[in-house]
Amino acid sequence: MLGFMMKDLAVIKSNFKLLAILIIVYAVMGLTGEMDISFILPFMSVVVMISSFSYDEFNKWDSYAATFPGGRKDSVRAKYLTTILMLLIISIITTSLSFIIAYNKTKTFDYEYIFSTTLGTVFGTILVLSFMYPIIYKLGIEKARIAIFVTIFGIAILGGLLINYIDLATLLNGLAFLENYWIFVIIVLGIVFLYGSYRLSLSFQMRKEL
Amino acid sequence: MEIVISNSNGVPIYEQIKEQIKNKIISGELKEQELLPSIRVLAKDLRCSVITTKNAYEELEKDGYIKSIPSKGFYVAKINKDLAREEQLNKIQDLLDSAIVIAKTNKISKSTVVEMLNILYSEDK
Amino acid sequence: MENILEVKNLNKKYDNFELKNITFNLPKGMIMGFIGENGAGKTTTIKAILDIIKGYSGEVKIFGLDSKKDERTIKEEIGVVLDDTFYPEILTPKDVNNSMKYIYKNWDEKMFNDYLKEFSLNPKQQIKSFSKGMRKKLEIATALSHHPKLLILDEPTSGLDPVARSEVIDIFQDFIQDEECSILLSSHITTDLERIADYITFINDGEIALSKTCDELLEKYGIVKCREKEFKKIAKEDYIKYKKDKYEYEVLIENKKDFKKKYDVDIVDKITLDDLMVLMIKGVK
Repeated sequence: MLGFMMKDLAVIKSNFKLLAILIIVYAVMGLTGEMDISFILPFMSVVVMISSFSYDEFNKWDSYAATFPGGRKDSVRAKYLTTILMLLIISIITTSLSFIIAYNKTKTFDYEYIFSTTLGTVFGTILVLSFMYPIIYKLGIEKARIAIFVTIFGIAILGGLLINYIDLATLLNGLAFLENYWIFVIIVLGIVFLYGSYRLSLSFQMRKEL
Repeated sequence: MEIVISNSNGVPIYEQIKEQIKNKIISGELKEQELLPSIRVLAKDLRCSVITTKNAYEELEKDGYIKSIPSKGFYVAKINKDLAREEQLNKIQDLLDSAIVIAKTNKISKSTVVEMLNILYSEDK
Repeated sequence: MENILEVKNLNKKYDNFELKNITFNLPKGMIMGFIGENGAGKTTTIKAILDIIKGYSGEVKIFGLDSKKDERTIKEEIGVVLDDTFYPEILTPKDVNNSMKYIYKNWDEKMFNDYLKEFSLNPKQQIKSFSKGMRKKLEIATALSHHPKLLILDEPTSGLDPVARSEVIDIFQDFIQDEECSILLSSHITTDLERIADYITFINDGEIALSKTCDELLEKYGIVKCREKEFKKIAKEDYIKYKKDKYEYEVLIENKKDFKKKYDVDIVDKITLDDLMVLMIKGVK
């Protein structure tokens, strides 16, 4: 399975120029302006992972991988592990950048704020990716792009409609007891989502015509 | 050992291989007890299939020109010189027969044919 | 003779195409040419053998093991080239090596690098900058470098010029010098196969039309060329298919010798695999 990760990482590395440019642009924006750079994390992860799926699909990698011992299963597993690894690396980069930017502005470190922002965005990214991957494995990247777009759009509209009917204040009050445990809750939820997403992707991939 | 294979002369490849090895054995180019290339090596060198060379060797073995020693390979067998000579003589006889048939049907005299044979025999060396 | 690959009653249905009872065996130490026109089912059969497609019925045994149950063990010892299917093209042969050494237990880094040298492929160049022929060579080198016992190759010589084809064919013949190793190789360049293939399996419209040793096929089968008057005399059971041209009939027969004994016809030609394919596909009974 390590072999499959090596391949995914090599694809990301070949795209490194794009990543480096993004990081530099946002670092400069963060240092000079008022721009909050924490949203680079989800944005970059999605860009990097979607392009990795696109490269795979262009050369029908999944069919080829299925000729390797355990290839069908390992290629999916490797994709998720690479994702985790990449999230880790990007969080380290953005967190350090946030520290530098924060120090530059205020000459102090607000550890709690920066860590909680990072953790929050990592969680958000995991949600987005967990939702995307099974769709990609089911439909292939080309159709999945449209499906993902339509679903996100749909959820946004639905959310917008629902918000009129739900008393947000009561809901938040109801969840207030979580306040002290939210880090724990977020980590557990992240793992649960990612694992559920993995199982779903795997079951699609195992039954798929490649 | 040289073997030349033609793809277009209509003779099956295994037969071409068989004939050429046979001739080399009769002429003495391949000596008794000499080890022949393995079926697979020969197939590779001649760019033909394994089954083709296998057929050729099997027929040679059947005719007594080579013998196989299990897990060692194929060796040139001790051939009966007289038998081999007889076979060649038969071949010459067959060809001469057809020449005579042509001569007779076209009323060409024996002396003309003999003369032709004499000239050809001394010329073609 | 022991079989390295056994395919039995393979069936698979698509909307507009069907594999019907595909059955054939490939013995150890042999090269089998898998021929048929485009769309006849070559790639689908190969993909079913490798369990890449799903929803087929039938049995595939490789090295005597069930292709589904013992997938991992079997695939450690199979080398594959599929048409248009490989590592993402922004990677380099070096990336392929770095990945493969963790995928196959028997991956042989030195062997792979030697092939790259032999084929003059730069290990640090992106695959997308390679010509079609260079890509094929890289795919073949990759398929060979974990010492497989069975090579399954879909159109491995397409896109190669005659010199490269002959290089690659040499490599295939080297590969079966080990009597344990076999090759299943689909191709529409039948002249390559006529010489090196031990067996020919011909698939037509999703069905196996014949599976025989190549020598038997080329020696026994023949084409009779005759006029209508002569054709009318040939009994139905004595030919396989015929094709009527403007000036003559071309009749595919299964045994030249027997046919010549029974009928008095002038022209009984040797057959090539191309002739065979054309007559089987275009001919009628």
